[in-house]
Amino acid sequence: MTDPAGPLTFQYGTEIDGLRVVHQPPPPGSASFSATYVGPAGWGFDPSGSEGVARLVNQLVTSAAGRFDRVALARHLDRLGATLSRQAAPESGEVTVWGPAAEWERLLGILSDAVLRPRFDPSDIARARRQARERQLREQTQPASRAVVELLRAIFPKGHPYRESGLGNPRSLGRIDRHDMLRFHRTHYSSGGALLVITGAARLGTVERVARRWFRGFDSRSGPVLAVPPVGRPATRERTIDLPGRSQVEVRLGGVSIPRSHPEYPAAFLANEILGGRAMLSRLFQRVREQGGLAYHASSELEAMRYGGHWTAQAGTGPDRWRKVVTMLREEVERLTKTTLPASDLRLIRESAIGQIPLALESTSDAHELAVEAAYHGLPEDYWLKWPAQLRAVGPEDLRHAASVALDARTAVTVLAGPVR
Amino acid sequence: MPRDGVRQPPHRTFELPNGLRVVLAPIPHSPTASVWVWYRVGSKNERPGITGASHWVEHMLFEGSPRYGKGEIDRAIVRVGGELNAFTDTDFTAYFSTVPREHLSVPLDIESDRMTRALIADEEVERERTIIHSEREGNENWPEFRVEEELYQLAFRIHPYRWDALGHREDIARMTPAELREYYHRFYGTRNATLVVAGGFEIDAIRAEVTERFSPLPATGEDVAVREVEPPGRGERRAELSGPGTTPYIQIGWRSPALGDRATPATMVLDTLLGGETRMFSAGAGWWRSAEHPSARLYRALVDTGLAVRATSEFRPKFFPSLFTVQALATPGVGLDRLEREIERTVASVARRGPTRSEVEEVRTRIRRGAALAYEGASRTGFRLGYFSVLRSPAYEGELYRAILRVTPQAVREQARALFTDDGKVTVRYTPTGKENDD
Repeated sequence: MTDPAGPLTFQYGTEIDGLRVVHQPPPPGSASFSATYVGPAGWGFDPSGSEGVARLVNQLVTSAAGRFDRVALARHLDRLGATLSRQAAPESGEVTVWGPAAEWERLLGILSDAVLRPRFDPSDIARARRQARERQLREQTQPASRAVVELLRAIFPKGHPYRESGLGNPRSLGRIDRHDMLRFHRTHYSSGGALLVITGAARLGTVERVARRWFRGFDSRSGPVLAVPPVGRPATRERTIDLPGRSQVEVRLGGVSIPRSHPEYPAAFLANEILGGRAMLSRLFQRVREQGGLAYHASSELEAMRYGGHWTAQAGTGPDRWRKVVTMLREEVERLTKTTLPASDLRLIRESAIGQIPLALESTSDAHELAVEAAYHGLPEDYWLKWPAQLRAVGPEDLRHAASVALDARTAVTVLAGPVR
Repeated sequence: MPRDGVRQPPHRTFELPNGLRVVLAPIPHSPTASVWVWYRVGSKNERPGITGASHWVEHMLFEGSPRYGKGEIDRAIVRVGGELNAFTDTDFTAYFSTVPREHLSVPLDIESDRMTRALIADEEVERERTIIHSEREGNENWPEFRVEEELYQLAFRIHPYRWDALGHREDIARMTPAELREYYHRFYGTRNATLVVAGGFEIDAIRAEVTERFSPLPATGEDVAVREVEPPGRGERRAELSGPGTTPYIQIGWRSPALGDRATPATMVLDTLLGGETRMFSAGAGWWRSAEHPSARLYRALVDTGLAVRATSEFRPKFFPSLFTVQALATPGVGLDRLEREIERTVASVARRGPTRSEVEEVRTRIRRGAALAYEGASRTGFRLGYFSVLRSPAYEGELYRAILRVTPQAVREQARALFTDDGKVTVRYTPTGKENDD
């Protein structure tokens, strides 16, 4: 058996002008390298009137940077055998470079260009704006995305970073100009509070030296802090969006949840796995799909972020079946807190979650995701190594209590989007 | 530049007396093992009235076999931390499980049990019927699915490629359990299957285990050849669809060569030139995908100019001649006529003048990139070795790769001329019926 400890641990390194370096060894035998910049650049930081700017900037930093315009950058990546990707979330913006391990120093150079020296060429801005507008329209008219949008708007109050999807609105999108993007970039991509997570074979000291060369020029002040207003009980408990002509109704049931740093997170994680997170073993999959035959997909998600979170139980079903599905989703969420989980069920889901760890180490990019998640939440360097012990410490009563805190049906909102009438 | 060439891990292939082909690829450091069973059975083997049978069988193979009752297959894999799933294509169906390496025997036992002895009980078929309806309804929510389904129905009148692997709604509603069992027993068996095992194991031990588990299975599985031949297309066929949504969408298809055709490598270069990537050799850490590329011809002509927000091509070589497609999603406010004219102009320009030498060199670089790190991890290894095995053999990947790198600009131009003709061309346009709830 391979010793999996290597990529299950990582090391926090020094800070380079406000950019904290984190290093993770790659899985044995890996030939690739991954590095991710994570900055306080999520759409929760969108200034009022410029909603959508964070996602536009996130898209454009991977488009053209430094001496490379868009085509030149793409060709450069092709020649190196690399990819540059990005991800935006309410709290953070990420940029990831992936490619051959032998090219890791040059790959870090590309990442630093993307993060520190994006070009924001006018033609790129115009294209990104058109694409964002189309995504806005699609978000409103596709049942699955519309249901999520409506759920978040029902759960979180105005001004809350988790309330929106970050696409902005037609007015704000039309108003955002290059100047707004440069300003957002300056504040959120090159100031403190950011991480550089590297999964590669070089040692931490070497990685720091190379990172220092490429990422010099950060503003060492502390990074921007997200304003997070308190969340009260939702004003409405049910939202119905009729989208005639569609074939399927998307059902979402959800509410606020706990942050990732919450002491009950491991128990809440398992509660969600039981509800619908561990698809084929989960209660929603078994009841709605396997026993009821009512839906192709039935699952749940627990989104635990830095300042809070939300949970969702979801299914897509026919226009004549959604009532039954809503009842089942609600009953299964309530069952988590009303009845104690049999020890054998808990053991099954727990050992399944623990057994899954090797699958997260199949490749450098898989392992890298573990390090990015742990480092973003400031978790200990051996967090993933100790994760099995944390899960094994959860008892049935712990789970029930965590479910009442993190998956609370009493304040849940139900959203239907699709051909409901 | 990464080292040139397809870098398959060392693997051993052999065939059991019952016809089962086996590929074993040990990856010494891998913490996981991945088991794939590829059947050369897909929607091409169905007939009108039972369209969607392969996909339905795919579902039923999770619903019970002699040693695994309903739900027990899922439970057996997931309880050890593994993941499992399956997918159905026109040409094949694949089932896979990836588990921590010490649990490799679990998926091997499951696959040997359900390869020829799935129960497909009446009551389970009935219960699955609504789930499959639901899966189809979920897809129908997307205009792109509706357009593509229509495109293939227009393109093919004889050949079974004319229906989607999900099957027609009416057939899903009507098909009987007996028909499904008959289909399964006819085609699913050792003679039509390839077993691929990749990951952390000792090859002799696993060879012995595979032989012990799968050798007792009877040699079954009827010939999966398809005898229907689609006659050459005459003229263009078109369809206009409308429905919910906000953005017009267009997909155009031209008759494309089959796998193994001499024109396939040049068509893959053409696909990369126009669309940005070709599926079998696309870059990235994940599964393959059709991705856009800013230097691709369609991207430059449609996205850079503001006519479309997305524009790609797709060519996936199949057992029989199929379609080379171009698809574009209009920028809000742009009409489909303009979009279609620009697509026509773009493909005609390749047919008239061909690509430049530097464009073809750029495509080669992209193909090299796509091949370079494609085999990281047991799951991806099992997928790729299995995919090329079911198409032909694992060695076929290298043959195809080398052939692609030999393609000249002249060959691309000739292939574009042969491909982009009106005979057999199909066009489907989707016009949204209105503005819905756009805040």
